[in-house]
Amino acid sequence: MLSLLHFDVLPLAKLEVGNHFYWHLGGLQLHGQVFLTSWFVIGLLLIASVLATRNMQRVPQGLQNLMEYVFEFVRDIARNQIGEKEYRPWLPFVGTLFLFIFVSNWSGALLPWHVIEIPEGELAAPTGDINTTVALALLTSLAYFYAGFKKRGLGYFAKYIEPTPILLPIAILEDFTKPLSLSFRLFGNILADELVVAVLVLLVPLFVPLPVMMLGLFTSAIQALVFATLAAAYIHEALEGHGDEGHEEHA
Amino acid sequence: MFDFDATLPVMALQFVLLTFLLNAVFFKPISKTIDERDGYIRDNKASAAEYLESAEKLAKQYEQELADSRKQAQQLIAQAQAEAKEVVDKQVAQAQSEAQQQREQVQRELDQQKSEAFQALESKVDVLSQQILDKLLGARAA
Repeated sequence: MLSLLHFDVLPLAKLEVGNHFYWHLGGLQLHGQVFLTSWFVIGLLLIASVLATRNMQRVPQGLQNLMEYVFEFVRDIARNQIGEKEYRPWLPFVGTLFLFIFVSNWSGALLPWHVIEIPEGELAAPTGDINTTVALALLTSLAYFYAGFKKRGLGYFAKYIEPTPILLPIAILEDFTKPLSLSFRLFGNILADELVVAVLVLLVPLFVPLPVMMLGLFTSAIQALVFATLAAAYIHEALEGHGDEGHEEHA
Repeated sequence: MFDFDATLPVMALQFVLLTFLLNAVFFKPISKTIDERDGYIRDNKASAAEYLESAEKLAKQYEQELADSRKQAQQLIAQAQAEAKEVVDKQVAQAQSEAQQQREQVQRELDQQKSEAFQALESKVDVLSQQILDKLLGARAA
């Protein structure tokens, strides 16, 4: 356990990173605070979906209208990246990525999680934990490998040597850099935003952190969009195969 | 900060589960509703276009019929006028011929009476001339 910062100067502003609320599950260690908030996020998404789709009308109203807007938004992300023909089976994955990350980020930015006392560590956005972001990034890698193999079988490997075998090391490296950059981008943005806000609150508790908080809301939304868009783009690349551009640019 | 542990696989499992759940309660029903709505709108548009087309056809047909019956009415009027004119002409001609006949008859009667009168006068002329002669001659002889 790495404890970078531990301020306990004022009762209202406290900052700790690296303290976790550990759960032990048959010799396994779990970060309890991450699961508590992620269950909240998952519950929110499921409840909103169930309420919106419980009684579907031809003319949408209220929550159904909102959720249809959300649906069209994530559908556009998937369709713009993957393309009209192939996006349908990947929509749930890309859409769930966006919704989960977005709601997680905004719950961390908007809800006063820190007020709720837990025995150790503190509640925060689930996406501020490296385990969550790496899990999502690895799932994305699995998803695009699955997409490639399902579409083209072993011919998928051809993309590693296709323009020229000289680029083979770079092509292989790409498969590692993709999840790495995805997970660290999200994790870094969310954690850094939380830390900046916390440090500013520590220094000046009133008003001054507000602009940074607004910026945090903005980056949170952008990060969700970026993660979902890149995941869809990787899937598209695996489906299309190589032969067109977009090979090096994601490295 | 970078402590990986069982949180990672459990979170991944949880996320996969969430994907399936959201697919069932969010993506599928909403895309179904949206598709149904698109189909409904498309059908309605198509049938509306059909109705419009048939309405236009009907309007054209009615206009055609209206023009036809207007033409027919005009023909009827013209025919009636022609018939009426014929009747009038006939009656006028008949009346004229009757008048002519009557006038001729009257003329004839007049002529006959005139000739009768002349005849009567002629027979009397002889007597009268004899009497005149007698008077003249008698006086001389006397």
